[in-house]
Amino acid sequence: MSRLGPDAGPAVAGEGPEASGQAGGVRLRDVRAGYPRRPAVLDGVDLDVPAGEATAVVGGNGSGKTTLLKLVAGLVRPARGTVTGRPAVVGYVPERFPSHQRMSALGYLRHLGRIRGLTTADADRRARALLERLALDGGGSTALRYLSKGNAQKVALAQALLVTPGLLVLDEPWSGLDVAAHGVLAELLDEVVGAGCAVLFTDHRLDVVRARAGRVHRLDGGRLVAAPDGALTTPARVEILPAGRGPGAGAPWASLPGVLSAQVGATVVLTVEQDRCDEVLLAVLRAGWSVRSVRRGAADPGAGSGGSPWAL
Amino acid sequence: MGALTRYGLARLTVSQRYLPPVLLFLAVVVVLTTEPGGSLFARYAACAFAQFLSMAWLTVVVVNGEDPVERSVTVVAAGGARRVLLADVLAVGAVHAGLVVFGLLYPLHAGTGPAAAVAVGLVAQLTAGAAGISVGLPCSRLVVPRPGYAVLTALTLVLLMLLVPYPPAVNPTLRLLSHPADAGAVLGPLLVQAGGAAAMLACSITLTHAVARRRA
Repeated sequence: MSRLGPDAGPAVAGEGPEASGQAGGVRLRDVRAGYPRRPAVLDGVDLDVPAGEATAVVGGNGSGKTTLLKLVAGLVRPARGTVTGRPAVVGYVPERFPSHQRMSALGYLRHLGRIRGLTTADADRRARALLERLALDGGGSTALRYLSKGNAQKVALAQALLVTPGLLVLDEPWSGLDVAAHGVLAELLDEVVGAGCAVLFTDHRLDVVRARAGRVHRLDGGRLVAAPDGALTTPARVEILPAGRGPGAGAPWASLPGVLSAQVGATVVLTVEQDRCDEVLLAVLRAGWSVRSVRRGAADPGAGSGGSPWAL
Repeated sequence: MGALTRYGLARLTVSQRYLPPVLLFLAVVVVLTTEPGGSLFARYAACAFAQFLSMAWLTVVVVNGEDPVERSVTVVAAGGARRVLLADVLAVGAVHAGLVVFGLLYPLHAGTGPAAAVAVGLVAQLTAGAAGISVGLPCSRLVVPRPGYAVLTALTLVLLMLLVPYPPAVNPTLRLLSHPADAGAVLGPLLVQAGGAAAMLACSITLTHAVARRRA
């Protein structure tokens, strides 16, 4: 994938409509949100998303991560409490980007660029540069409706970066992207953070969050709590293999409590929260599998890529 | 707002979803106004009826043409849901303007009338178009997410507007045009209906925006 010159990448400090709100950042105070006549999704949430820093929120499925991001992005108004300091230019990247449009990816980005105040020529140039960097399969002429989940995610990412945002909100941005795009996403995030942008993202994998974010919060039961120390210490790498009577390689290891990620190869390599390692080992042995090795450190996030692409 | 409206029109053209409501309009107008004879008022009444149906349908098509998640991305880019909603209304309005031109000129083919009658036709069609958009917005996914309920809501609202003289707009307009009268005498009451339709459109936009925000 080609790394373009500084004038081609849109997410460069000082270029384009400025990243506003460089001081401060977004502040949520005592925020409650949810649907009428149902228990609140979020309650009493205080959160600071400082400019020039990446902040992460972890939490299980349905813990309210997406609602929190929508509050910060301004898509949802809090039922109680305040959200202040939101800059003028906000980029929002949803978890999925389903589109049934026949419009081409490039055409869509041109429209979004114009909506953000760019000229057609500028929007086109920035869109092409971003799509090339993200290596969109089939190129910009592919209709949105024919894009795979990962490629649609790349378009969603590109539209948020057409103009360097003052606040960038990403919902599980690593999900669906291929390993090559992971590296580009990391670069892009570094660039906008360097330009003074406040970045807020969610993920459910602590190893990803730990590598990418300066601050980590955990959502639990609609309340934001400091991420426990144990969760942020180095995870353990557990290599296991079936011992005859166990289930096949397709066992859903990744969904086991305490397991951050699972890689299936000749053996299965689990990345495990350190403080839940014993619990996971017990479950593995009970399932009829054999433990080959236990080491400190996360499993390699992608084939052939060491820890370096993940270092902040 | 210009870029947003252009995006809405581009979605319509590329998806070709504008075709069914536009074809409905053309078909109704051609079928009901081609035969010679009859007053120009009656022919413009047919055009206003077609505008009402077609604009209600087109409004739903424009708003529902974007997936809700896709729309939230547009809302953040545009800096507010209200702007996106207004741009959708403007995009429908642009198509409406084109159809009004056709709806004014085509009926003249079968027989002309005084210039004041054309003014009556213009006001009647603009009134019906605004009423159509007012009906379409609350039938969109922003207010009624389930397609089955949306169709039922649309049918109910359309029938009510056609059959019941209140709220003012479509039914009184069609009545005014169905009685042969002096164009000058009709224009005054018609402008009152146009005002009613404009107020209804403003209410519909406000209501749709409010419901969509609660639902988000």
